[in-house]
Amino acid sequence: MIKKIKDFLGFDIKADKYKLSNDPIFGMISDEKKPDKWVFSTCGYCGVGCGLYIGVKDGRAVYTKGDPKHFVNKGVLCLKGLSEHQLINSPERVTTPLIRKDKELVYDSWENVYSKVADEFKRIKKEHGAKAIGVISTGQLLTEEFYTLGKFVQLGLGTNNYDGNTTLCMASAVMGYKQSLGSDGPVGSYEDFEKADCIVLIGANIADNHPILRLHINKNKKNPKIIVIDPRASKTAQMADIFVPIKPRTDLALFNALAYIIIEQGWEDEGYVKANTNGYKELKKHLQNYPPQDVANITGIDIKTLYEIARQFSVNDAVLSAWTMGVNQSVMGTDTVSAIINLHLLTGQIGREGAGPFSITGQCNAMGTREGGFTSSLPGYRNFGDKKALSEYAKIVNVAQEIIPTERGYRYDEIIDAIDRGEIKALWIVATNPLVSFVNQKKLRKVLAKLDLLVVQDAFMSDTAEIADVVFSAATWGEKEGTYTNSERRCNKANKAVEPLGNTKSDFDIIIEFSKYFDGVNEMLFPSWNKPLDAFNEFKEVTRNQLCDYSGITYELLEEYGGIQWPCNEQRPLGTKRLYSPDIPFRTKDEKANLLCVDWYPMSEPASKKFPLILNTGRTVEQWHTRTKTRSMDILNDLAPEAWVDINPKDAQELKVKSGDRLSLSSSKGKVEDIVVRVTQTVAPSTIFVPFHFNTQLINTLIDDNFCPKSGEPNYKQTAVQLHSDEVPDGIEFKEEQRGVISYVKIENEEIKLKEREI
Amino acid sequence: MKPPIENFVNYDADTGMQCGNYSIDIPELKDGEQYRFHFDATVCIGCRSCEVACNEQNNNSADTKWRRVGEMEGGEFPLVRQLFNSMSCNHCIDPECVKGCPTNSYIKIQKTGIVVHNDDTCIGCHYCTWNCPYEVPTYQEDRNIVTKCHMCHEKLDVGEAPACVQTCPSAAIEIESINIKQWLEKDIDKQANMPNLADARITNSTTRYTLPDNLPDDMKEVDEHILKPAHSEMPLVFMTVLTQVSLGGFFALFLGEVMSILGFKGVNWMMALLVMIPASLGLLLSALHLGRPFLALTAMKNLKTSWLSREVLALGIFVLLMNIVVVLYYFEASHRVMLLVEIFTLIVGVFGIHAQAMIYRIKARPSWDRITTNFKFFGVAYVGVLLLGFLTVIIKVSEVAVPLITLAIIGSLLQLFFTYEDLKTLKYKDKNEYQLKRTARLYDENFSKVKQFRFISLILGGIVLPLLVVVLLSSDSYTLASLVMFISVVLVFISEISDRFLFYSTVVSLGMAGGFFVGKQRG
Repeated sequence: MIKKIKDFLGFDIKADKYKLSNDPIFGMISDEKKPDKWVFSTCGYCGVGCGLYIGVKDGRAVYTKGDPKHFVNKGVLCLKGLSEHQLINSPERVTTPLIRKDKELVYDSWENVYSKVADEFKRIKKEHGAKAIGVISTGQLLTEEFYTLGKFVQLGLGTNNYDGNTTLCMASAVMGYKQSLGSDGPVGSYEDFEKADCIVLIGANIADNHPILRLHINKNKKNPKIIVIDPRASKTAQMADIFVPIKPRTDLALFNALAYIIIEQGWEDEGYVKANTNGYKELKKHLQNYPPQDVANITGIDIKTLYEIARQFSVNDAVLSAWTMGVNQSVMGTDTVSAIINLHLLTGQIGREGAGPFSITGQCNAMGTREGGFTSSLPGYRNFGDKKALSEYAKIVNVAQEIIPTERGYRYDEIIDAIDRGEIKALWIVATNPLVSFVNQKKLRKVLAKLDLLVVQDAFMSDTAEIADVVFSAATWGEKEGTYTNSERRCNKANKAVEPLGNTKSDFDIIIEFSKYFDGVNEMLFPSWNKPLDAFNEFKEVTRNQLCDYSGITYELLEEYGGIQWPCNEQRPLGTKRLYSPDIPFRTKDEKANLLCVDWYPMSEPASKKFPLILNTGRTVEQWHTRTKTRSMDILNDLAPEAWVDINPKDAQELKVKSGDRLSLSSSKGKVEDIVVRVTQTVAPSTIFVPFHFNTQLINTLIDDNFCPKSGEPNYKQTAVQLHSDEVPDGIEFKEEQRGVISYVKIENEEIKLKEREI
Repeated sequence: MKPPIENFVNYDADTGMQCGNYSIDIPELKDGEQYRFHFDATVCIGCRSCEVACNEQNNNSADTKWRRVGEMEGGEFPLVRQLFNSMSCNHCIDPECVKGCPTNSYIKIQKTGIVVHNDDTCIGCHYCTWNCPYEVPTYQEDRNIVTKCHMCHEKLDVGEAPACVQTCPSAAIEIESINIKQWLEKDIDKQANMPNLADARITNSTTRYTLPDNLPDDMKEVDEHILKPAHSEMPLVFMTVLTQVSLGGFFALFLGEVMSILGFKGVNWMMALLVMIPASLGLLLSALHLGRPFLALTAMKNLKTSWLSREVLALGIFVLLMNIVVVLYYFEASHRVMLLVEIFTLIVGVFGIHAQAMIYRIKARPSWDRITTNFKFFGVAYVGVLLLGFLTVIIKVSEVAVPLITLAIIGSLLQLFFTYEDLKTLKYKDKNEYQLKRTARLYDENFSKVKQFRFISLILGGIVLPLLVVVLLSSDSYTLASLVMFISVVLVFISEISDRFLFYSTVVSLGMAGGFFVGKQRG
C-alpha cells in the first residue's frame, strides 16, 4: 500500500536499476546486469558465425557482447546476437522431458522417456525393419552433436532414412558444388567481400539475413560495384549499383545468357579454362540455346544490362558471387548453382582473393551437418557408395564395414512420403520445426498423424513438439559446449556459460545416454565418450586429409584465434582462407572442375486465371526461423509480431486495400487468413512477398511440394496464389503477359520438353 | 590453456571505422565545437541493431526506445528507394527540451554540447516529450520520469564508444565534432535534414545526415497507416478549462465591480468565491498528470525560458489573489482597494492563461501551434460569465443577470467561430499539412461523434438556452430560469471539456518516420 502511494507520488525513480558500472573487460555497462564472468562463445543464430562473449551473473546469462578480436564480426553484433542471452530463459523453453498420456503431454523422468522411445524403436525395428525409423535433424546443433547423432542413427539404429532441415536451405549449394567442383565446401572467405572489385548478390537478402556481412562490404576500400539480382527490391537491393529485377525463377536462364555473352565476346580466361576445367566445348555449344535476346524476354532484363553484368566478370580483377535461398530453394537449384559456378570458371574468378562463387549458409552450423552429419554423405565429405572411403571410415572409427550404409537413404521429402505410405513408422525430429518450415502444411500434418511414434528433441516448445508423443528437453545455446562452422568454413568455438535450464540436457548428452538403451551400441560407437571433446577428437581423425580437414584444429586454437577455416592440418596450421587456389586442386578425379550444360525450365505452375500472382517467401531480420527462439523476446518480436504481405500499389488498388488492411491468400494447396497488407513498391505488380516465420499466418500452407530432383530442396520461392480482400473477395484479374520463350524449351500439353539436341 | 580475457576497451577492432571498437578516437574539442552524430543513410541496412544495443546498454525495457529506426519508401518498382533513419537525440544547439523544461532538468553540457537529462529533478510533466520536434524524450512508466539519449556521455568522457556506434555493422552511426558557428552559418541546411523529419532549424539540430543521391520526391513513412489518437491528458483537460472558466468569471466580477460605480447592485463574496473555485480545483488536478506529483511546486524553476513555469507561477498567484479578493469582499473593503486588487488579479490571470496557451504554441505539434489555440483558451471565459450569470439568476438580480447572460452569448458566438475556424484551417495549405491533415482525420475518423456533440452542445448551451433564460427572466420565471440556466452552464462546461479533450487527443507530432508494425515507438 505504502509502496503504491509512493509510486503514485513518484518518489522512486529506480536510479539504481538504471545506473552504469565499470566492467573491467567491456567498460561501462548496466550495473544491474554487470556479469561476474564473461564466457567466450559464438552466436547460435545464422551462418555468419559471429564471435561474442556471454556475460553471466549469478548463474544467469545477462549480456552478449561482440568480440572485437573475432575475424567475422570484429566486435559488432546484430540485434538478435545482442539480445541472444534472453533466449536462454525464454518462457518457450521445454524444461523437462514430456510424454503423451491421455492426449496430454506430461512431465516424466529421463529414464522413462528414454526407455519408452527405445522400446518403441526396437519394436518397430523388429516388426518393420530398421529403416522404418526416420530421423530429421537440423543445422542448429554443434558439430560434435551432429557427428554423434549421425553415427548413432546410421550405425546404431541402423537406418539411413536420415536427413536434416539443411535440405530445406543448403542442399542445392551442396549438390551444385559437388557436381561442378567435385566436392561440397564454400570456396570463399568473408574477407573476399573486402577485396572484391565487384560483388554479385544473387537471391541473397543479406540486409535481413546476414547483416554482419555488410561490415565486410563496408571495409572494402575499392568502392566495389555491387550487383543485386533479385525479383524483389529487398533492403539489400538498396546497396546495388546495378539492381537486376529478374522475373521469378528465371535465374538459371540469366546465368546461361551471361556465359553465352562471355564466350561470344571472348571475355573468358582461356588459359584458366584450359588448365583447370572440363566441358568447355560442350558448354559453348549448349549455350547457343540461350541467346541474349531470348533470355532478355524471359528474365525481363534488357540486353544492355545483360552485357553490362557479363562484362563485369571480365573487366574486374576480382568478382565475388554470393547467393542464398533465392538460388537454392528452387526446383533447379542445383543446376542454378552450377550455372553460377560456370561463370566463375570461365573467367577464372575463383581461388583468388576477392573472387569466387560463394554460397552463404543459413544456420549457425549448416556446415557442421554437411561435413559431419552423416546425411547426404559419410562424415568428412566421403561420398556414399565410395568403397574406399567407406573402408577408410570403418577403420578410423573401428567398426565393421557391413554396418556402414552404402547409399543415401530417403531425403527429407522422401521421408515424409514414406511415412505417408506407411513405410516409416517412427520419426525422431531434432531441433527443427517442420510444422512451420516444411511445404504443403496440410498434407504434412495429416502425414505426421500416421506415425506410431513421433519424438521431438528440442529446447523450445515448437509447433511440432506440441503434437509429439515424446519430447526430449534439450539444452540450448549458451548451455553447452562444442563447435559451429560458418559459411566461410570457419570452425568456431561455442562454450557453456550457464547450466542447462531445469531438467534439460545437451543434445550430446541426450544421444550418448539414449544410446545406452540399445545393446552394445554405446560401447561400440562411443567408448568412454563423456564430453563433446571426445566426439571432436574422433571427427578430427575422420576428416584428416579430406577437403574439410579439421585435424589441425584444437579447442584452444579456436579460442586463441577466434575461429579457424578448414582445411587446417600440419601444412596449414592456421587454416585456409579460400579453396581452389593453385595449391588446392578440384576434388574431381582428374582434378579439373566441370563446366556443366544446365537447363532452365519455366515454372510448372505459373500464374493463371485462378491464381494470378506469384508469391515469394523469405525472412525478416527481427525473427529467427519458426520463431521458437525469438517470439517471446519483446525487443525483437514487437518489431515484427506477425506476418505481412507486400503488395504493389497497382494490385492493392485493384483489391481496394491499403496498408494495415487485412486479407487472405489462397493457392492450390490451401488458404491463409488474416494477413496484414503492406502496400509497397519493393515488389513488382503481380508478385507478392510474405515472410515464412509465423505460425499465426502459416504461409507454407500454400507452398506446393515441388523439389529439386538433385538436391531435394523445395521450391519455396514461387507459388501461384490469389488474394482475397473484403471488398474484392474474388481477387484480382489475371493479366496475360507476353511471357518470353526460349525456342529450345517447349511447352507441349503443359509438359515441358527440351527440343532434341541437334548434334 | 585458455587465453586470458583481456580488456577490450582499448582493443583496436581493425574495422577501420568507429564500429566494432569499444573505444573510439574522437578529436579533442576546440573552442566553439561540440560532439554530434553522423548518420550515413547510404550504408544503413535498417537492421535495428542500434536500437537493441542502446536498450542493452542502458537496461531499458523494450518499450523504452532512446534510439529508433524509421523506414521510408519512395519511387516506383524497380527504381524504388527504401530509406532508413536511425535517430536518437540530435543534441541540438538550441534544444527545445532545455527551453521548455520547467524544472531545468535538461543540461546542455558546456564542454561537449551533449544534452543530458537530470533524472533526479524531473517531475515527469511530459512537456519535453511534446516540445521536441523529434519526439526524442520518452516517458518511462516504471520510473515516473522522462529519459532520453545522452550519447553515452559517461562512456565518451573516458573515450568509450556509445553502444549504437559500437554495434552498427555498417558504421552508419559515428561520433564527430563540429564547429557550431560554421554549422549554423553554412552546413546545417544542406546536411541536417532528412525526409519526414522536422526542419533542423527549429532547434538547430546537430546530427549530420548523408543521404543517397537522387532521392525520389515522394518519400513516404512506412507507418503512415498507423494513426492513433494522442494521450487525452484528462487532468490537463480539466485544469485548463477550469482555470479559463475562473478567468472569465473573474472578468465578469471585475465588470460588476466597475459597474457598481454606476450604481448597479454590488458584487458579493459568494460570487468571488464561486469564480475562484474552478481554478483552485484545476490547479490541484494538474498535479495529477505529473509522474512525480510531490515535486509539483518545483515546476516554477525555469521562469526565464519555460512557459510552463510561467503558467504555474502566474496561475498560482492568480488563485491566491482571487482568495484575497474573496476575503476583501467578505470584510467589505472599499471600492478603490477592490478595483486596484482586481485589476492586478485580472492582469495576472490574463498572463496566466496567455502563458498556458503559449505552452502549446510549439513547432513540434502543428495542430496546437496555431493562433486559434490562444483564442479558444481565452474563449472559454464565457463559461465563467455564464456561471456568474447563473448565480445572479438564483439570487434573482435580473438587472445584472441579463447583461451577464448577453455577454456570455456573445462569448459563446465567438468561441463557436474560433472552434469552426480551428477545424477549417486544419485543411489549409501549410508546411505541416501532412500532420494537420492527420489531425483532421482523427477528428473525422476517430472522434466524429465528439466533434458533433461539441458543436451542438455549444450552440444549445451557449446560445439557445441562455436566450431562453432571458425570455424567462423577462416574465419573472426565476425558478424555471434557474433550472434552464443550470442546464446551460453544465452543457457548455461539458462542451468545452469535450473540445479540450479533442485538442489533446488529435494532436499529431512532427516526429520521425517509424516502423511498419511499431510505428513511432512513442506514446
